[in-house]
Amino acid sequence: MPGKLLRQDVLGGLVVIAVAGFAYWLARQLPAGAAGGMGPGTLPKGLALLLGGLGVVLLLNSFFEKGEGPARWSIRGPLFVLGALVVFGLAVRPLGLVVAGPLAIAAAAFASSEVRWRETLIFGGLMTAFCIGLFKFALGLPIPLAPWLVGY
Amino acid sequence: MDLIANLALGFATALTPMNLLLAFIGCLVGTLIGVLPGVGPIATIAMLMPLTLKVDPTGALIMLAGIYYGAQYGGSTTAILLNIPGEVTAVVTAIDGHEMAKQGRAGTALGIAALGSFFAGTVATLVIAAIGAPLTKLALLFGPAEYFGLMVFGLGLAIVLARGSVLKAVIMVVLGLLLATVGTDLETGQDRLTLGIAELSDGVDFAVLAMGVFGIAEILRNLENPESRHVAVSKIGRLLPSLDELRRSLGPVVRGTGIGSILGILPGNGAVLGPFASYALEKKLSKDPSRFGKGAIEGVAGPESANNAGAQTSFIPLLTLGIPPNAVMALMVGAMTIHGLIPGPQVMIKHPTLFWGMIASMWIGNLFLLIINLPLIGLWVRLLKVPYRLMFTTILLFCAIGIYSINNNPYDVYFTAFFGLAGYVFIKLGLEPAPMLLGFVLGKLMEEKLRQALALSEGSFMTFVERPVAAALLVLAAAVMAIAVLPAVSRSRQKAFQE
Repeated sequence: MPGKLLRQDVLGGLVVIAVAGFAYWLARQLPAGAAGGMGPGTLPKGLALLLGGLGVVLLLNSFFEKGEGPARWSIRGPLFVLGALVVFGLAVRPLGLVVAGPLAIAAAAFASSEVRWRETLIFGGLMTAFCIGLFKFALGLPIPLAPWLVGY
Repeated sequence: MDLIANLALGFATALTPMNLLLAFIGCLVGTLIGVLPGVGPIATIAMLMPLTLKVDPTGALIMLAGIYYGAQYGGSTTAILLNIPGEVTAVVTAIDGHEMAKQGRAGTALGIAALGSFFAGTVATLVIAAIGAPLTKLALLFGPAEYFGLMVFGLGLAIVLARGSVLKAVIMVVLGLLLATVGTDLETGQDRLTLGIAELSDGVDFAVLAMGVFGIAEILRNLENPESRHVAVSKIGRLLPSLDELRRSLGPVVRGTGIGSILGILPGNGAVLGPFASYALEKKLSKDPSRFGKGAIEGVAGPESANNAGAQTSFIPLLTLGIPPNAVMALMVGAMTIHGLIPGPQVMIKHPTLFWGMIASMWIGNLFLLIINLPLIGLWVRLLKVPYRLMFTTILLFCAIGIYSINNNPYDVYFTAFFGLAGYVFIKLGLEPAPMLLGFVLGKLMEEKLRQALALSEGSFMTFVERPVAAALLVLAAAVMAIAVLPAVSRSRQKAFQE
């Protein structure tokens, strides 16, 4: 049954096992330490093994117990919200808050099914101005404002 | 009379104009956040942490604490008016509180919640002041082995108290512990699990992790559920309860305060149990239990008091032992670290003005909540009508600026996006992120203490058996976990969380 394979706990178990495996692989070259002392690799490797074991239990459990069915995943929300953060991160240093702020708001606005262009632009501008006033001037945080225009 | 002298010092600190202002802002922002659905206190504190970079540590902690209990309070407002509990702890309040609102007694429900919380806050402040000093002395006697045992016990309790399956809570704690090992090794200086990214050699930043799995993931979840909030209550009604209602509420408030205060002290988020326990107790004690669920004022007064008392006494493990009992307190650790403070028994000894000032500010904060919230209820209700499409973009921008400003590093913003995605996946897989956060914070401390203990015992694990306190704590932790897995207990545990 393909539906059964997509069940929440089956997928959960697989994800947990994958994360544990990845962590163990990353830690593979760290010395685990002798029986007496602990090395830098002891805990990462030990915890990764424990996590992997728990993932296997979760996976096996899901075949015996009636768990929740597969969840509905959406793409639009995560894509644009996370995208907005990345855009902000890329833009903030070279272009400053003046550009990064409205860009992030505009990108994020696409995450909702009700995009309104004019509202987004006006609102993005106002919010950015508010944030500049609060973070840059009132609090004096060293976040770049508009390096290409005013030099900081 | 150390207690009085200490409290006097505290009030002298908390009553300076700057600190009063910060407490006020904290309470106001906290209530705002609590009222707005979809922004929890964890995300807010993470978001506003940079706001406190410019003030001194005492003021910063006063403000952050204000946000925390303001949010608890705002959560009950939406629970009563909209039947949307903003916080887990307000779930119980919604049962009878919203019934009262439907009967046109919303004002009274809000009023008794505020009065009960104020009473609970006052008592809890005294409890912290009284217990703080002796517990700190006890903590100073603890060696690394005892600390390690205590933290294992705390994690055990947190697992038992987490919502959902015990297995999933254990998985999340272990994942948190694993994440905590990312970064430079304490002793050898080797990079661990960093993928060769230089920004990760200091480890994963706590604020980044919290903001991702709570703040961003929460936005993603809200975007999927179309808006369904409307203020069903047209009439708030009078705020002050009648004499008869006050008389009915007195017992529940006092008992709720007691229950909440005790549960809040437990390491491992005992505070969440307070409202549930209080509600169950009042229902049992009532002459007419059938009134519960139909707008009984006792069902609001008791749990609300328990909630507020627990919220406040959960500062005790953090301030005296340096062990955060829940995710919000874990963020407080982050805030203290930013300001160069190491949470633990040394805080009270080295920074008495900070310790006692913060405690005094809690009482003042409760007074603020009483004063600002009741008259402002109309404003909060109107705020609920702001469309979510405007709200989430604003929250996102604040998050981005806040996270960037902690280290002035764009990488932190990327990591936040990554953990936001991870948090979204966790939600979809039914994995609760709160235990992971606790595991993450305690993980760093635990590894440090474990290795110190082993260094002292020259590598012998027998130290955890030979030292009676450490051994007792580890046995307790094992017992708590074992009990939770027993079929009978796990069934009643599920029932308790469903109600």
